[in-house]
Amino acid sequence: MRWGIPKPRPKSREADLDRELRAHLELEAEQQSDSGLTPEEARYAARRAFGNVTLTKEEVRQMWGWTRWDIFIQDLRYALRSLRKSPGFAMAAFLTLALGIGASTAVFTIVDSVLLRPLAYRDSGRLVALWERPRMLGGEATGPNPRHVDIWQKRATAFSGLTFLRHMAISLTVSTEHPQMAPIVASPPNLFDVLQVQPLLGRTFIPEEGVPGHASVVILTYPFWQSLFHGDPGVIGKTIRTGNVSHEIVGVLPSDFHFPSGTTLRAFRRGGKALNGGLDPLLFMSAGLDVTQMEWNGNYGNWVALGRLKPGVAISQAAAQVNVIQNQIVQEMPASEGDHRPGSLLASVQPLQEAMVGDSRTELWLLMSAVLGLMLIACLNLANAQLGRGMARSREFAVRAALGAAKGWLVWNSVAENLLLAGCGGVAGVLLAGFSLDLFRRYSPVDLPRLSEVHLNLAVLAFSIALILAVSLLSGLLPALRLLSTDPQAALQQSTARALGSRHSNRLRRWLIGLQVAGCTALLLVTGLFSKSLLHLLRQDKGFETRKVIVAEARLAPGEYATDQSRISFNDAVLENLRAIPGVQIAAMVSAMPLDGESWIEPVQRIDRPRLETPLINFRWVSPGYFEATQQKLVAGRFFEERDRQMSNVILSEGEAKALWGSESPIGGQVKIEGRTFTVIGVVGDSRNTSLKTPPPRMAYVHYTDRPPYTSFFLIRAPTPVSTLAPGIRQAIWKYAPDATIARVQTLDSQLTDSLATERFQTSVLLSFGAAALLLAMLGIYGVLSYSVITRKQEIGVRMALGATRSSIYALTFGEAGTPVVVGLAAGLAASLLAGRLIQKLLYGVQAVDATVILTVTALFLISATAAAFLPARRAASVDPMTTLRAE
Amino acid sequence: MPNEPSDRIQLLQGTLDMLILRTLLLGPAHGHQIAKHIQRTTDDLLQIEHGSLYPALHRLERKGWLAAKWEPAGKDLKREFKYYRLTAAGKKQLLAEESKWKKLTAAVARIMWPVEES
Repeated sequence: MRWGIPKPRPKSREADLDRELRAHLELEAEQQSDSGLTPEEARYAARRAFGNVTLTKEEVRQMWGWTRWDIFIQDLRYALRSLRKSPGFAMAAFLTLALGIGASTAVFTIVDSVLLRPLAYRDSGRLVALWERPRMLGGEATGPNPRHVDIWQKRATAFSGLTFLRHMAISLTVSTEHPQMAPIVASPPNLFDVLQVQPLLGRTFIPEEGVPGHASVVILTYPFWQSLFHGDPGVIGKTIRTGNVSHEIVGVLPSDFHFPSGTTLRAFRRGGKALNGGLDPLLFMSAGLDVTQMEWNGNYGNWVALGRLKPGVAISQAAAQVNVIQNQIVQEMPASEGDHRPGSLLASVQPLQEAMVGDSRTELWLLMSAVLGLMLIACLNLANAQLGRGMARSREFAVRAALGAAKGWLVWNSVAENLLLAGCGGVAGVLLAGFSLDLFRRYSPVDLPRLSEVHLNLAVLAFSIALILAVSLLSGLLPALRLLSTDPQAALQQSTARALGSRHSNRLRRWLIGLQVAGCTALLLVTGLFSKSLLHLLRQDKGFETRKVIVAEARLAPGEYATDQSRISFNDAVLENLRAIPGVQIAAMVSAMPLDGESWIEPVQRIDRPRLETPLINFRWVSPGYFEATQQKLVAGRFFEERDRQMSNVILSEGEAKALWGSESPIGGQVKIEGRTFTVIGVVGDSRNTSLKTPPPRMAYVHYTDRPPYTSFFLIRAPTPVSTLAPGIRQAIWKYAPDATIARVQTLDSQLTDSLATERFQTSVLLSFGAAALLLAMLGIYGVLSYSVITRKQEIGVRMALGATRSSIYALTFGEAGTPVVVGLAAGLAASLLAGRLIQKLLYGVQAVDATVILTVTALFLISATAAAFLPARRAASVDPMTTLRAE
Repeated sequence: MPNEPSDRIQLLQGTLDMLILRTLLLGPAHGHQIAKHIQRTTDDLLQIEHGSLYPALHRLERKGWLAAKWEPAGKDLKREFKYYRLTAAGKKQLLAEESKWKKLTAAVARIMWPVEES
């Protein structure tokens, strides 16, 4: 049965059919009235002989074939009309879908751009990163020594090209402007041959530019060329300056060229951010290096090696070959420098994409599954709501079926409704995704590799379309299938209330609830784990105090402050100025930003017991007052004082002191650092001052006069807020050195929050997903129970008339939701245990199975479920037996 | 349909096309004429809803076995009917259907009324 006449496309054909059938009916009526019937009876008899006119037309139209499209359009129009009649449902469904599809599309875009899409280099599957694992450093994979890479280059046959590179930050001057810091990559000339990248303008490096002593030339990236030279094609041959050295610009790279930042492709691979890492390189500089001048066994963790495998060479073959060469290198090293035991210098080869994406993989898949889980829950809710609507409309459907509507059409109607919803929601969702990705790219709170490559593309569009279809099928087909089993006669004969309540349909809806509960519990449990992990990170014993401390970062230009003495004087003067500011209790300086990762690492050896394997220790050059400002604990000996100036004294962290001296007292002991001898004057408590996410590193602290840094971090302990104090702090620095760059003045507390940006982002995303899922599940439970109560009103009335108490009616209603909720909870738990194992790497201080989290989530869920079930239960309990029985 | 005579026979699937083609072999006719012809010839034995004729007619036309044209009815020039006419392809199709039908009835008959082997 088709309600309404479809818009006839070729009008003549439709009119033609009308005319044909009308002629037939008229002729038949005439003949019937000739046999003595009244005109009225004759018309009726003609119709009876003819059968269902509309159905006939419908069948003829189907014969024509083009009507499929018409039917589709008509169904959509019908769906639109029926949705307009329930704007509340339509709006809720639309919003759910728009948000759901928007979120999944956005997340999938990121997953696709970062994880799935191959790197934007020719034949990028053959690009590999190579790492060395020297036993000296405890076998950790780290950026290789260029001297070794040079030997690989000469002896290995597995690679068609092999190069190395280093991320750096340099101070650049174009024309007469102020110098600016720019992230760059320095490498031998063959980098672009390995990457197989052609320049947009000019040329790439030529071999002579790798000869030691050759002036280094630069190649600009497209964004840098655009922003500094406004896309001027005449830029080739111009120069830029670093300090007072000029570099000729020889080429410009194409706009689709992306190169990983120093954080993405870390030479030193332990936790925390890399130095000079965060931003994508703006230009490439040729490095003329004499690798034979480099140490034999050192210089690890500064450079990254890239190779291109020859076709047909497997990674394992390449790795085996490099390891053979490594053993040769070990044998060839001068006796004084290396550990000659075989295996003391291993190497590993890794696909470049894996090296870049690395740790982000798990978090992205987690995000992806969380968003798909939420989507699934939303779909189930939609299906449940549709099912409810379907039941309420089952009388309407029964009438339509009785009037001759084919069941297939009724089903299709219901699917069309969802297709329309999903289509509108999908379009809105894709727009939303595009918009939010734009925001994400610009203000990303997390450090993601390949972020600049993230944009909506065809794969994503295909994903969204698949998602839309899946959604409409899932949420449309379930209720529709339910319709198929409706017996129109039964539905028509029964009262409305009873027709709603077939046992079968309520069971289906309860199972949907169970599924939803499972998804929601799993999501909540994972959220719980992340929240607990974040709380742990924030609350754990850091070993130092961030409250009421302000940090100011000041950079000195290498040219102006070339001598150590000039930098010592700068620090001395600024510290004195800072201490003179009213309200400042302590002022100190340190050579690295707290909680910003590793900066300077060096092995430390006991002079009386040298060992071959010495892990790299984190170094900090500090002023007196540093430990007082950060309130670090003194374990033995003393802190730095003014008298330590120019003395080779060192303070060790408790962990390092134990590692070197065990239970003996290290005070007065001597250690060798970079070939120099230092005396241990104190031991301080372990602290997590590189990162909150790693165990406290072993540390060595040296007086700043020993190696005054170019970048000083002044720590100021004062009760005054940073906004009041900041001008005074800047003044204190500029009064002595007007040419110093003040990169930031902020509280140490905000640095702490910034350092956990990724975790806070993950947790807040999961929290919002979890809250949404909980809300949806509650709505689902509420909906199912409400319908069930309406359905069973008579039954409840009879029970009450027979003596059932109000509390037993409560129990009856709650019991109905009980089974799916409990089963769902159990399934969700099981799923989360599985997921927990996969995400263990992302958790800090929490095990995947955490009793507190499980108990909290279960309690939260049960309370929410009870709350959702309460209203329907109360409605059931307040059924008046007399009224319902009378209505019987 | 209430009160249908119970001795009417439901048309076998697929035979309607053949009956239409055969009817049109006698000359062009419109839908009503075809329906009446089938009913009259079989003494109202075959139960055909007139409506069911039209999807079949349009299908046959689409397949190229029939051609249709609006023409005035013989006696009444003011009134036009859509007349269907058998095409050459339609004639061929009729032959094919006829021989299929003959084979079918023969096969059915052999099972229903077996001839005794002598």
